[in-house]
Amino acid sequence: MFVAAAAVRAVLAYGAPSIDSPSYWPLTTALLLPALLLGWLVVVRVPASPIGPALTLTATTPALVFLAEDWGATAQTSTPWPAASAVGAVAVGAWPWLFVGFVTLVLLFPDGLLPGRRWRWIGAAMPVSAVLVTYVVGREGPLTPVPVILIVVAFGGFLATLLAAASSLVVRYRRGDRLTRERLRWLMAAAISVPILLGASWLATALGIPGTLAYTWFLVAMLILVPGAIAVAILRHDLFDIDRLLGTTVSWVVTSLISAGVFATVVLLVGGYFPDRIGVTTAAFVTALVLLPLYHWIHRTIGRLVDPDRTVALARIRAFVRQVRDGEAEPEQIEFVLRSALDDPDLRVLLRRPGTELVVPEDAIALQTGDSVVGALILGTTSARRVRRAREAVVEARLPIEVSRLRLELREALAEVRSSRSRLMDEVNAERQRLERDLHDGAQQRLIAIGMRLRSVQYQLSPGVPAYRELDEVVETLEHAVAELRRIAHGVRPSRLDDGLAVALRELVADSTLPVDLVVPELAVGESAATTVYFTVGEAIANALKHARATRISISVGVTDQILRAVVRDDGVGGAKEGFGLTSLRDRVAAAGGEFTVESPPGAGTSITVEVPCAS
Amino acid sequence: MRIVIGEDSALFREGLSRLLTENGHDVAGTAETADALVDVVRAVDPDLTIIDVRMPPTMTDDGARAAVALRAERPDRPILMLSQHIETRHVVGLVGTGGFGYLLKDRVLRVGDFLDAMRRVVDGGSALDPAIVAALVTPTRADDPLAALSAREREVLALVAEGRSNGAIAVQLVLAERTVESHMRSIFQKLRIDEAPDTHRRVLAVLTQLRQ
Repeated sequence: MFVAAAAVRAVLAYGAPSIDSPSYWPLTTALLLPALLLGWLVVVRVPASPIGPALTLTATTPALVFLAEDWGATAQTSTPWPAASAVGAVAVGAWPWLFVGFVTLVLLFPDGLLPGRRWRWIGAAMPVSAVLVTYVVGREGPLTPVPVILIVVAFGGFLATLLAAASSLVVRYRRGDRLTRERLRWLMAAAISVPILLGASWLATALGIPGTLAYTWFLVAMLILVPGAIAVAILRHDLFDIDRLLGTTVSWVVTSLISAGVFATVVLLVGGYFPDRIGVTTAAFVTALVLLPLYHWIHRTIGRLVDPDRTVALARIRAFVRQVRDGEAEPEQIEFVLRSALDDPDLRVLLRRPGTELVVPEDAIALQTGDSVVGALILGTTSARRVRRAREAVVEARLPIEVSRLRLELREALAEVRSSRSRLMDEVNAERQRLERDLHDGAQQRLIAIGMRLRSVQYQLSPGVPAYRELDEVVETLEHAVAELRRIAHGVRPSRLDDGLAVALRELVADSTLPVDLVVPELAVGESAATTVYFTVGEAIANALKHARATRISISVGVTDQILRAVVRDDGVGGAKEGFGLTSLRDRVAAAGGEFTVESPPGAGTSITVEVPCAS
Repeated sequence: MRIVIGEDSALFREGLSRLLTENGHDVAGTAETADALVDVVRAVDPDLTIIDVRMPPTMTDDGARAAVALRAERPDRPILMLSQHIETRHVVGLVGTGGFGYLLKDRVLRVGDFLDAMRRVVDGGSALDPAIVAALVTPTRADDPLAALSAREREVLALVAEGRSNGAIAVQLVLAERTVESHMRSIFQKLRIDEAPDTHRRVLAVLTQLRQ
C-alpha cells in the first residue's frame, strides 16, 4: 500500500499535472521509509509481535495522507485528477490519520497487548475521532451552532484520545516488569526528543530560519528516532545503557533550560542597572556557578525517577559497606548482598586463593588490585545491562570484597602455618619412634649379645679363677648399660605407647610418689596425640610433685568428638605461673594442633587441661 | 629340653643358642620371622618356644601374635616371650595361663635365673618379669580393688605373679612361709577371690582380668 501510494505520488509529482514542488516527494518518502523498513525488520525477526505491523502503519498512513493531499492539490492545476476537489476536501482534515500509527504503537508497545480491557475503547475512539475531525474540517457550509459543537467535540475527542494513549505508557511503566520498563525507557528516550526538537523548531522559525528546515528535524525525530527506538527496544533492548542515556539526556535538557532561565533572569535583573557587558558577564558567571551542582542534583533526582532499581541497588551496597565499617556485618556476606542488590540469585564472588592463579571465566567481571586479578564476579544471567550494573556495584563493593579476600588470605596462611607445624611435629614424633627402635633393636640387643658371649666364655672357666669373678662384674656393668639405654629410649619415646596410651599412662603414674587417681579407658588414638598427652601428663605430674605441695593428683583422659582430652588436677597450693615448663608444654600441645589451659587460683589447686585432635 | 627360638637378630639368636646348648639344652630350630616360626614349631613340636615380641615382617608385635596363634593350636604349649621393653597388648591374654613367661631380654644375662624361669614355664607355671608384674599390680583408679592392698601385700602379690612359690617369696622377703600364706589369704579376701587349689594361676587370671 505504501509502495502504491508512493508510486501514485511520484506520478503526481513528476507527471503531467505537476503540483507545485516535486522536490518534496523524495524527502517525504525518504522520511517515511525508515519506519517502514524498521517495521518490516521487526516483522521478520519477531513475526508474532504486532509491533512490526504497527510500525509499518506509522509509515503507511502518512503516505496515504500525503497522497490524498497531493491528489487534492491537482484541483488547482490545469489537469485535475478525477474527483480531485472531493479528495482535496477530505485531505484538508486528514492530518489526524498521521497519528493513527503512533497511537496504535503506543497502545500496543511493547508486548503487543493492550494495557487492559478498557483500553479497547481508546483503540476504537482513535479512528472514530479521526474520522470526525476529517469530516468537520472537510465539510463546507455556514458555522451554525451544531457544526461548532461538532468541531469542539471532534477536536476535544481527538486530543483526549491522544492524551489517553500517551497516558497508557505511564500506566504500563508503573505496572510493568523489568523488561517492559527497560523497553519503555527506550521509547521514552526517543519520545522526549520529539518535544525538544519541536521546541527547537519553533525557536529556529522565530529566529528566521525557514520553517520547513526546522520542521524537517521535528519530522526526523518523530519518523526516524521514535520508530528506531521502538525497533531497538523490541529487537535489542540491551544494546546500551538506555537508563543512563535517558537520565543524562533529560538532566542535560533540564539543566540547560534552568541555566538559560537563570541567565535570562540575571541579565534582566542586572541589565537594568549596569551596562550590557557587565550584565552578561555577571549572568554567565552566576550560570556557570550553578551549572555543575545543579546538573548533579538533577542527574541524581532523574536517575532515581528513571532508574530506581540502580539507585536502590547501589544504596543497598553502600549501606552494607557502612555496616562492615561499623562492625555490624561480616565482609564475607558481600556475595549475599550483591545477589539481592543485583537480583541475581546465581551470582558468585570468586576470590583468588593465595599462591594460586585465578582463571577468570568468560563473562565474569575481573576484580583487580593494581595489576593483579584478585577475584571475579560471576553473574547468573549475563546481559550487557547486567554486566554494566554489576561493574558499578563492584566499584561500590570494593572495600568488603578486598577485606574478604585479605581475610581469606590470612586464614589460609594461618592454616598453612598450623598444618606445617603439625607436620613437623609428626616428623619429630616419627623420628623419635625410629630412634627408640634403633636403641632397642640395635645398641641394646648388641650389648646383650656381647653379654651372652661373655657368659659362654665364663662357663669355660672354673669358678675359682679371678677372671670368672671379673666377667661377672663386666656382665653386670653391661646390664646397667642396657638399663641405662632403656631409660634413654624411654625418654625419647615411651615404648609402652605401643601398647596404647592407657597402658603407658598407667605405667607413668606407677612411678609417682603421690597417690594418683587415673581414669583412662583403652583408646585408639594417633601417635602424635598420644605422645603429646603422655608427655604433658608426665610434665604436669612432675610439676605437681615439685611445686604444688599436693597430697593427691587426679587424672582423667577421654575422647569426645575426635578430641583427646586429658585433665590433670592436684589439691596443692595453686597459683602456678606461666614459666618455662608451662610454656614449653603449651608449645608442644599447640604444635600437635591442640589447646592447653591452666587454671590455678592461689590456694585452690591446679588444673591443667590438654585437648588434642585425634582423628584415628 | 628341645627348644625353638624365634628371633630376628642373628647376634642375639646365636648367642642364646650357644648359651642354651652349653647348658645342656637342644636348640631344635630357629626362625627369623613370625611366619617361619609358626612353621618351625609345628614341624619340630619343641618342649619350649622362646619368642621375641618384635619380629619381622612388621617389626611391631608379630612375635606376640605368633604366640597367640601357637597357643590357639595347642593351649598348653609352653612359651617364653622376650622383649626389649614391656609390651602387653597382645600378651595380656596369655599372662594368666599356665606355661607362659614374659621376660625382658637382658634377664638372659642372669643365666641361672633365666634357666629357672624356663624350667617353671615348661612345668606349666609362669615366669613374669618384675617390670610387667609391677605394671599389672599397680592400682590405677581410686576404685581399683588393688588400691585396698597394703604395700607388703602388693609386694607378695607381685612375686606370686612373677611365678615364685610361697617358699621362694618367703626367702626373698625374709619372712616366715606362714606369714606369706597369711598375706595371701588377706589378698584373696580383699580382692574377693575364693582360694583355689592352683593359687598362683588364679592370681594371674584375676590380675589379667583386672587389666583388660
